[in-house]
Amino acid sequence: MSVRVKLPPILQEPSGGVEAPEVTGRTVGECLESLEEQFPGTKDYLFDRQGKLLRIFGIYLDADGLRPIELDTTVRDGDEIVILNFLMGG
Amino acid sequence: MSSYNGKLIRLNLTTGKSQVEEIPRAWLKDFLGGRGLGVKYLYEELKPGVEPLSADNKVIMMMGPLGATTAMSVSRMALVTKSPLTGTVAKSVMGGSFGAFLKFAGYDGIIVEGESAKPVYLHIDKEGIHLLDAADLWGLDTQQTHQKLREKHGKSTQVACIGPAGENLVRYAVLISDLRCGGRTGVGTVLGAKKIKAFAVNSSGPLSLHDPDGFKKLAREIIEGLKTSPGRIKMSDFGTSYLTLGFEKVGIFPVKNFQEGRLEGVEKIGDEALANIKIKNDGCYGCMAKCGQVRQVSGGTYDGATSEGPDYETIWSLGGNLANTDIGALIAADSLCDKLGMDTVSAGNTIGFAYELYQRGIITKKDTDGLELNWGDPAPMMTLLEKIGSRQGFGKLLGEGTKRAAAQIGKGAEDYAIHIKGLELPAYEPRAVKGYGLILATSNIGASHMYGRPRDELAGKKDKLTEVDKGKDAASAESSQATQDSVIQCSFSPVTGFNAQQRSELLVAATGFKEFADPAYVEKIGERTLCLERCFNVREGFDRKDDTLPKRMRTEPLQNAGPATGQVFKNLDGLLDEYYDALGYTRNGIPSTEKLNQLGLGGVAKDIEKFSK
Repeated sequence: MSVRVKLPPILQEPSGGVEAPEVTGRTVGECLESLEEQFPGTKDYLFDRQGKLLRIFGIYLDADGLRPIELDTTVRDGDEIVILNFLMGG
Repeated sequence: MSSYNGKLIRLNLTTGKSQVEEIPRAWLKDFLGGRGLGVKYLYEELKPGVEPLSADNKVIMMMGPLGATTAMSVSRMALVTKSPLTGTVAKSVMGGSFGAFLKFAGYDGIIVEGESAKPVYLHIDKEGIHLLDAADLWGLDTQQTHQKLREKHGKSTQVACIGPAGENLVRYAVLISDLRCGGRTGVGTVLGAKKIKAFAVNSSGPLSLHDPDGFKKLAREIIEGLKTSPGRIKMSDFGTSYLTLGFEKVGIFPVKNFQEGRLEGVEKIGDEALANIKIKNDGCYGCMAKCGQVRQVSGGTYDGATSEGPDYETIWSLGGNLANTDIGALIAADSLCDKLGMDTVSAGNTIGFAYELYQRGIITKKDTDGLELNWGDPAPMMTLLEKIGSRQGFGKLLGEGTKRAAAQIGKGAEDYAIHIKGLELPAYEPRAVKGYGLILATSNIGASHMYGRPRDELAGKKDKLTEVDKGKDAASAESSQATQDSVIQCSFSPVTGFNAQQRSELLVAATGFKEFADPAYVEKIGERTLCLERCFNVREGFDRKDDTLPKRMRTEPLQNAGPATGQVFKNLDGLLDEYYDALGYTRNGIPSTEKLNQLGLGGVAKDIEKFSK
C-alpha cells in the first residue's frame, strides 16, 4: 500500500528537502513510523517528551478538502496525508 | 459613502474641553488608519524631549478603515504614545468591542492630551461627548470599573479603562476593554498620569460603506473559507497555548529569566492541561475565531480563579519564566494582572529579574519585604503582583520595569535586566531564533512580540540558528506588521482572516479609495509607518547603539535548551547592517534622505538631518 506524506518546511530538514515522500502503513501512525525509518529524527520534531503529537502540528487527510485525522485513522492506497505546521507566534 | 467617518475627538484634559475635527484625507491615503495614522499624528504634534508622563504627552487611539465592518479580525484599536518605559514611540493594539462602537458613534479615533486635575472619564452617546467625574471609579479594578459604568450607562455600554496600576503609574500599565488589553509599552500609565480612568460609548451600527453589496459578498466568502480552515480551528480550540510545548522543545521558550530553555513539568501548563479547564471561548467584535480561552481553576489554593487566557506570552511570563508550573497560580496571576491593569509580559519578566537577583544574592529578604524568591514557587509572585499594582514596598521598585529597577539596585543587577530600549523581552529566546532576536533588537518600541515575526524562520524554511541573511526578512516582517496594525488586521489574520489581495479588495469596497486596490501600495504604508516611527526615535536621540540585545544574549551560552544549547548571539552587527541596507537606512540606523523622499516623507528630512552626520 502506497501513501504520500506532504511535509511542512520544518520537516523537510530531516527529510533532506524531500517534500512528499512515499511511505507504507495501514494507519497514520504506521505511516509516520515508515517516515521515521526513511528519515530518522522526524518523530523528534513531531512529538513531545511524553510521546504525544505536538499541537503546533496538525495531521490531515487530503481528499475533498483537509480532514483532521488521528494516529489510528486507517489510510487507503493512494491517500495523501498532509502535515501542517502552525507556527505564527504568540 | 465610506467606512471612514473622517472625524476624531480631540480631548484636552487640562481645559476639560473636547472638539471634533476632520482627519486630513491625504493622511488617510498615506497612512490608512490605526497605527499608521496614530504615528503620523504623534510625529506631527509631539515635540522632541517631551516627558512621557507629563501633560505634554498625548495618547492617540485610532481605528482602522475596516473596523466595525463585518469582515473578520479587523475591529481592533491602535494606541500610540511616547512610552514611559522606553522614551521611544509606543504602540499597542487593543482587541474587544470598544473601538467598533466608537466608529458606530461617528468617530475614527480619540486624541487625548493635557492632564486633568481630578479623575475623569469620557462618555460618548448620541447626545454628545461628555467629560465626567470619575471620583467613584478611581481605585476600582478594571472589572469593577466596567461593571460600574454599565450600571450607570446601560448594559450595552462599551468600555475601555485603566486599573489601579495605571492610576499608580506602574510603568507597564495597560488599557483594557472587557478582557482584551492594549498591553505593551505603558499606554495605561500615560492615561493614568493624565487622570483619565475610562472611556465609555453607547452607540449602534451599522457603518456606511462605499460598496456595501460588494463588501458583504467578499466578507462572506472569506468567512465561508475560514469555517473549515485548520489554522482558524486550532486558534478557536486552543488560542496560542498550543505553541508552548513546541517552542519549549526547541529552546525558544525562556526559563528562569532567560538562563535556560528547558522547563521540567512544562506539560502541566501546556495546551492540553489548559484545555481541560476551559469553560468557554471569547473574542473581539466581528471575529468568528474567538481565540480567547476562558479558563477556570477548580480546587486547590486558587479555586475559582478565572481568566481569559493565559495566552502563550503569559504562560511564559507568569509560568515558565519563573519555573512555575502551577496551573492554578498561572490563571490567578493572569486574572490579577487584568484586574490591576498591568502588562503580563513586563510584569512577569520584571519578577523573573527579581527572582534571579535573589538567586545570585544581589538582593536578599531585606530588599523583598521578607519574601523568599525561589524558582518554581508562585506564592511570592502573587504577592509581588499585588505590591507592584499598588506600588507598595518592593513592588514600587519593580513597577519601574527592569531597566530602571536595575539602575537603582546597582551591584551588577543590570546584567540580569532582560529588556531592549527599556521594554522587557517577551517569550522568545533570541539565541534560539536569531531572526526574531534581530526584530526584537531593531523594534522601534523595544522588545515587543507584536512588532513582526520571522515566519520563514519559525516555519523551518530558514535555519533558526544561523546569523546571516536575515536582515531582509526582519525588515519585511516589521513592515508587514505595521501594515496590519494600520488596517487594523489581527496579527493572527494570516490564519484567521484574509490575504493581501482580499485585503485590498475589502479596503476599496469599504472606503472607495482606489489606491488601496494595489496590494503593493497598501504594503508600502507599513514601510512608511515604520520609517516615521524610526524618525520619531531619531529625533529623541536613538540610533544604532540602541538596536541591541541584552548582554546575556551576546555573551552567555544558552544552557539546557535542546538544539539551541550553547548558542550565543555573535553577529548582531552583521545582521544590523543587512537590516539597515534592506530599509534604506544609514549604517547608523537613520533613514536616508533618498529613502524618506521615496516614501513621501521628504518633509521629515530636515528634522533628522543633524543626527545623520
